[in-house]
This record gives sequence, structure tokens and C-alpha cells, in this order.
Amino acid sequence: MEKRLGIYIHVPFCIRKCAYCDFYSITDFSILTAYTDALIAQIRAFRPLARGYLVDSIFIGGGTPSVLPARQIGRILSALRATFRVSPSVEITMEANPGTLDAENLAGYREAGVNRLSLGLQSADDGELARLSRIHTRRTFEESFLLARLEGFRNINIDLMYALPGQTEQRLADTLSYAVALGPEHISFYGLKLEPETPFGKDPTIASQIPDEDEQYVMYLSSVHTMESAGYTQYEISNFAKDGMECRHNLKYWHLDEYLGFGPAAYSFFDGKMFSYARDVERFIMNATDLRLLFDEYTVPSEKELAAEYVMVGFRLRRGIDVADYAARFGDDFDARYAKKMKPFIDRRYIVKTPEGYRLSLQGMLVSNYILSEILEF
Amino acid sequence: MKRQEKIRNFSIIAHIDHGKSTLADRLLEATKSVSTREMEEQLLDNMDIERERGITIKARAVKVSYEASDGEIYDLNLIDTPGHVDFNYEVSRSLSACEGALLVVDATQGIEAQTLANTYLALENDLEIIPVVNKIDLPSADIDGVRHEIEEVIGIPAEDCPAVSAKTGLNIGDVLEKIVTDIPAPSGDEDAPLKALIFDSYYDSYRGVVVYVRVVDGSVREGTKIKMMNTGAEFDVVEVGYMSAFGLLPAKELCAGEVGYITASIKSVADTRVGDTVTEVERETDEALPGFKEALPMVFAGIYPADGAKYPDLRDALEKLRLNDAALTFEPETSIALGFGFRCGFLGLLHMEIIAERLEREFNLDLVTTAPSVIYKVTYKNGEVKYIDNPANYPSPDEISLAEEPIVKGNIITPTEYMGGIMELCKERRGIFIDMKYLDKTRVELHYILPLNEIIYDFFDALKSRSKGYASLDYELDGYRESKLVKLEILLNLEIVDALSFIVHADKAYARGRKIAEALKENIPRQLFEVPIQAAVGGRVIARETVKAMRKDVLAKCYGGDITRKKKLLEKQKEGKKKMRKLGSVEVPPETFMAVLKLDDE
Repeated sequence: MEKRLGIYIHVPFCIRKCAYCDFYSITDFSILTAYTDALIAQIRAFRPLARGYLVDSIFIGGGTPSVLPARQIGRILSALRATFRVSPSVEITMEANPGTLDAENLAGYREAGVNRLSLGLQSADDGELARLSRIHTRRTFEESFLLARLEGFRNINIDLMYALPGQTEQRLADTLSYAVALGPEHISFYGLKLEPETPFGKDPTIASQIPDEDEQYVMYLSSVHTMESAGYTQYEISNFAKDGMECRHNLKYWHLDEYLGFGPAAYSFFDGKMFSYARDVERFIMNATDLRLLFDEYTVPSEKELAAEYVMVGFRLRRGIDVADYAARFGDDFDARYAKKMKPFIDRRYIVKTPEGYRLSLQGMLVSNYILSEILEF
Repeated sequence: MKRQEKIRNFSIIAHIDHGKSTLADRLLEATKSVSTREMEEQLLDNMDIERERGITIKARAVKVSYEASDGEIYDLNLIDTPGHVDFNYEVSRSLSACEGALLVVDATQGIEAQTLANTYLALENDLEIIPVVNKIDLPSADIDGVRHEIEEVIGIPAEDCPAVSAKTGLNIGDVLEKIVTDIPAPSGDEDAPLKALIFDSYYDSYRGVVVYVRVVDGSVREGTKIKMMNTGAEFDVVEVGYMSAFGLLPAKELCAGEVGYITASIKSVADTRVGDTVTEVERETDEALPGFKEALPMVFAGIYPADGAKYPDLRDALEKLRLNDAALTFEPETSIALGFGFRCGFLGLLHMEIIAERLEREFNLDLVTTAPSVIYKVTYKNGEVKYIDNPANYPSPDEISLAEEPIVKGNIITPTEYMGGIMELCKERRGIFIDMKYLDKTRVELHYILPLNEIIYDFFDALKSRSKGYASLDYELDGYRESKLVKLEILLNLEIVDALSFIVHADKAYARGRKIAEALKENIPRQLFEVPIQAAVGGRVIARETVKAMRKDVLAKCYGGDITRKKKLLEKQKEGKKKMRKLGSVEVPPETFMAVLKLDDE
């Protein structure tokens, strides 16, 4: 049987960097075409390795993929189809920023095969958006969202953020009800994390303006409640979807399934190896097909490491760990390995027993780092 | 000329930062012992920690040859001295191995308490003192002012003393000439029985203990049967020699007046106590040299391995350090909170910090160090007297008929503008004012009687912060004084943590208890449950804080690339957790035990 594979395409271009974001991107658009060419060359170079795989998800992320004209997106997807066997029911997600979308390129993306859009709203408050140095307002977002609907996108995700500097519970609640009212199929809901190499991370005044642990606790719980009440089921710590609309691609990460990344800074877990490419577009363009010159990390994780990573990502999911699946994949007895370590957490109901295995309760998800660092051995 | 007439033995006295090591380097360089290129910065201080802290911990010595302007070649023996009050005794022994001392004073700063204390020690040892005004290259140098101050404060002529820049090498020749002309030559009896002063020793894994001596009378060579007069230990000499700038240089013999080393297959520095007299077994000298003292620890603390399994490693490491440090004491101790560790005795806080740092650095151990304590003297109702160095063993009030604490004579020198703040500090620290003396128009010397336990808690920091770093302190132990002492206990999650309890004056218990509770709250991370912190005296809670329960981590996203990052983050978190100590059910970072000491009052 063919193995399933997810493909990730990195588009490291942004009109401007957001103050909090540490994903790799540059603002020089003069090399867009050269970059697309390099990507295509790299994809084609994988042809010998593509045998035996069926691609059932493609995720074009960034950066801001929607700075690429539809024609370039079409070329990339064609190259993928020419190289890999792609499932007829493939999920093809593209991230897009409001303000870069219009009817024409939306139609073009759709025509190229994109069937899921992920739109970054982050906040419905224009003050907060300006603070994050986003390129759009609430209004431009709304226009983009409605245009996408008109152009036939039936599967749209909205990205939201909480724990923003100066954010109040009320303003977050407004953002949530606004997003829910638009009726997307999927909502990603992230806590802001201060990354050291970003303007936010470097600004010493930001940390003190971020809601404290107790405020964030309330923000998180009330937001989960709002989304669940509106029919968005939490299926991962930060992800909510209407029934059947979970993001297939992201689930691969949380199931520790195979994924192959293209582009600078892209990560892969492919054929038992984990690797990533350097955060350097020019180097990528020059050496797109000579992977040795691009690797940033390259490891062949042991079975034991993989098993631990499986647990790490698996506990992010609402359904938690399936001990039978764990045993089948790693030949290891989950209960024997973890029961003792989980006990204090089970006693306090941070971890809950399920028919298939174990999952974190909502309280447990809130302190998942703590729990995972307690029970995991890498 | 008789051989002793061409020997000069001297030390350098200086306050930290006044340029002692730099001057020593320049002297070595000027005598061509070391070429500038080969010379490592600050040759005499050859331990890492010393270099980082800019202080000399253990005495070192070096012999150089100098051709003076009279055309004769002289052997100059420079005996370096530790520059901190914790090592006062070692300083006095180093000084007594010399006939003279250079008193280095910073031309921009003037005399400091430490310098003064060591100068008095030198004068007590009848040393010829040569003032040297240093750092004259700095724009704010006040050469005449400092000379005047030396004459005024110490009462020795300084009118024509060398004024140098050790940094640039300016006028270093003047210093060397002064050493030759002003410092008396030794005048021992070369035919008398051997009498040599031990001023330092260290353990070397190949030679055994290398003993640094100043031969006063007689001579010593390979095969001499020697005896340490105070410890009574006897050895056969394997080798004698000199300390050159490049290392040990074997010689046929060491004679009266000379400074050098002896090796004799000695296993432990405990047999070669600083200040002891070396003589011959066959022909013992009549009288040991005066001034020998057993190095007595004054400050005690529990040292525990952060990882309980490392207990044997810690023991081995302490034993190794003790080979080289007779002042370090330790014995096994058990704490309910911390498991197995050692109660260690130190000369002072600096000594303690150095030992802890060496254990961590050289032996790669993660340690938990408890609050330092002094030795309390407790007379029980049944008449029994006990000295208690561990607060955990302090008896309950109803058993005590008299509690006494060690006190020190403190000597603080400060610019007059900070005098008020410092007197206030001394008062807060229960000091008793004795008297004061104006050194000049701008600086004053204050004399206080202070409880030692007030000095070991951040007194230096407080002194520095109240004087913008200008005030300096020197102290010596002055016996015991009756005191209203109570045991302050700390409870975490309603359980007493023995390692956090300590003895405090009754009047200060409330304030200190509150500060400790606050400091603990700052230091203890949130746990999965709420943790009450209480400070109690005699079972009565006097302060309370609460560490709230952990409610939420940073829930970062976790996609492809983030998996690696997430893993690293969890690994880091796990590393951090490994270092935590479990006190009952509460996890506490190891720094907590020391952090509760840093209770700066400003």
C-alpha cells in the first residue's frame, strides 16, 4: 500500500515583517520568479524518492504565499503533480494575508487547485493589528474573507492570537465573536510567544504588557467556550474546527506522519530522517538541487526518540494517545512506560483515561509543557 | 659579602584593585625573569577564580635576581599575600616571612581599610615599609595628597617614596632600588639548628605537598629529617629549591634567609599548617616561631549535591580540596529537605564562595548551598555548654539558659559623605559604636563591635551600596556576647524545611521572616497546587506568602519545524527541573537557598 505524504511549500516573502513573527521571510520581491524556479527544480529532484508515496495534503505557508501570483502557485502545484502521485481528494491549503487578495488572484489560486485558505486575522481590533504591524485592518480582512467565499472557497481557516500586549479579556472576546460570526470552517487560536529575534522580543517593555498567567488562563478558557458553543470543536490545543473540517495537513504533524518540506527553513520528516534547510533564500536559489549545501539540521532519530516525539505531539490532540497505535508503531507498551509518571497527573485530572488510551484534559492542555517535560524521556 | 646580605624578602600590601598584581608583574619583568611576551597577565595569581575576582586567594612566592645600581646582584624574594579579610592569618604569616613590604596605594583612591589592617600587621611583624604610590598615569592621581595621607595615617615617611604606574611601567626601577637600599637583609644564624616558617603549601599529585618556607636559621637539604613543631609530623626531605617565575627550580640546599620550597612525600596539607615551624629531628631548635594558629572556620554552611546520587563525588571533591586547604572542614550531615550532604566550615564568606565555585567548576558538581551560619554558644539549663554551627540543631528556648553569639571588631574606612548611611547600617546590624578617627579631611575610620552573623548576610553589599563602593571593611573575631537569639523556621506547604531555618536576633525575626517569605515567593515557580510559605518563630507564624498554583504554560503552536524546537524547549525545561530540589512535594530551584540571603535592604 502507498504511504501517505504531506507536502509543505515555504514562501519566504512578506510585504513587511510582523512585530512578533520569527518565521523566515524577506521583503525583497525581485527574486519571486527565480525563487519559484528553484522550488520547482527542487521538487523535480525528488522524483526518484517519490515512488511509493501518495500525497494527500499540500500546505503552502510562509511568509505570505499570496504575494505569489496565481500563475506561480499553479506552476508549483503542477510540478508537484508531475513528480508525486497526488490523491484526487488532496487538501491544498494556502496561507494568505488580507490585503494581498483580490477576486482575480483568488480565482487563480482556486483554479490552480488550492481548496483551503488560511487567513491571518490575529485580532479584530485595529489598534491591536497596528501594534502587531499587520498590513491589514479588520475591514480589509472582512473584504478578503467575503471575496474568498464569493470565489468559491468552502474551507477557510482564520488565525487568531491572544495574550497580546495590552489585550483585555473584553477585546479578545470581541475578536472571538467577530471571527465566529463570519463562520469559517476552522479557527487556529494561538497564544503570543515572545521570540527573541523579533521586534517584540527585543523590546524590553513588551513582556510586562502581556496579560499575566492568570489573565491568560481566563482568556483561553473563555475563548474555548465561545468556539465550542459556536460549533467549533477543539481538536488540538490551539485548533478548532467544524465537524470533519480539521486540517489534514497539520494533523500529520501531530500524528508524526511523514511530511516533506520545500524551500528555505522548511522541515521534513521523510523516510526516517528529520531535516531542515537553512534560512537563506539566496543560498536556496543557488543550490536548490544540491541538498547537502542546504541542510541546517539532519538527524536520523532512533525509534525511542520517535516514540517520545509521538507522545509529545500526540498529547496535543483532543483525542490524545492511542495506545494500540503506539504499540503498533513502536513495539512499546505505553502503560508500562508512562503509567507511573502519569499517575500524579491522572490523580489531579490533568490527564484523563479514554477508551483508546490517554488524553490531556483542558486543564492539562493549559499546563501541557509542564506535564510533558515531567513524563517524557528523549 | 656574606650571602644573606644579598637577599631581600618582601611582600606587597595593597587593597583590591590598587594594582598589586600588576606591580608584581612589572617587577618580574624589570628583573628580566620573564619576557613581556611570555608573560601571562598577572603571573602571580594563577588560579582562574582568583583572576576573575581580581584577588589573590593563596599566597605565592617567586624569586628573581636583580642587578642593583651598586653593581651587586641581589636575590629578591617576593611573597605575595591574599588580599581578603577571610585570610588574615595567612597574610600575617606571609608577612612574618619577610623583612619588608611594599605598601601600594592607589594615587586616585588613597588608603583603604584592608590596606591599613595589613599595614598594621606588617608593622607588628617589624617590617620595613616602603610606600609606593601607584596609578600616577591616571588624570585624577593625587600623588602629594596620597603621600601626605600615608605619613598622616600610618606615620611613616613617604615624602620621597616611589610614585609609579605599574600599568605603563613608569618608575618601576625606583621601587627595585628602594627594595635593595631600604629593606634589611635577613640575619639568621646559618649554623644554628634548622628553623623555617611555613607560609604556604599546596598538594601536587606527583610530589605530594609542596611546602613554601622561609628559612630563618640553619639549612635544609635532600635527606634532612624534618619535623613540624606544632603538628609533630616528621618527614624525610626529598627535594628543596626555589620558586622561579617559570616554576619550581631544584637546588642543593636552602639556607638561613632564603625562601624556597621543600617536598618530602607529604600526603596532606593538614601536616603543613601555615605558620608552623620546620626544624630538624636530630637537632631541634629551642623554640618554635611565634604566631602559629590553627586555622579556625568561622562560617558554616551545608553543601549538598543537587543530584543526590552525586554524594560520593562531592565527598571525593571535598577531600581533594582539603588536601590543599587546611582551613576547610567538613563532616557528613543529613537534611530532611536536601538529603545527604556535608556541613562545611570556612574562614569566611569569600572562602565559602570560592570553595563552592571550585566544586562546581573543577569537579563539575551542581550544588545546593544552605544559608551560612556562625557558631552559636549555648549554655543549657543543666549547665552543659554546646557550640552550634547548624541552625537545625539549635535547641528549643526552654532548654536554653544562656545564648551567645560571636562578635567581631570591625574597622570601616569611608569617605565622610557616606558616614551617616554607614553608621545607620551598623546600627541596623546591631553594631555598637566604639570610636572614630578622621584620617584626613575627607575620610574617616569607624570602629564598631558587630555580631558576626550580621556581617555574613550581605553586609559587604550593603556597605558598598551605601558608599557607592568606596567604603571598606576589615574585622577580627572578638569573642562571644550574650544575645536574644531565636530560631526562625520556614515552612513550605505546611512542612518545616530544615535547610532554610536559621538563627536570628529576636528583634529582627519579624522583618527577616517577612523578607524571606517574599524572597521565596519570588524564587519558587508556580507548582500544580498552591504553596503556602510561612515563617515561624517558636511555632508561631510571623509571616506568610503564597505561591499560586500554575494555571497556564506558554502554549506555542507546534507544526513541522516547531517539533524540533518544542522538543528542545521541553528538554531545557526538563534540565531545569532536574536541578530542582523536592522539599516535601514542593519543587524549589537550588538558588533559592542562597537567594533568601540576598535581602538587600534598599
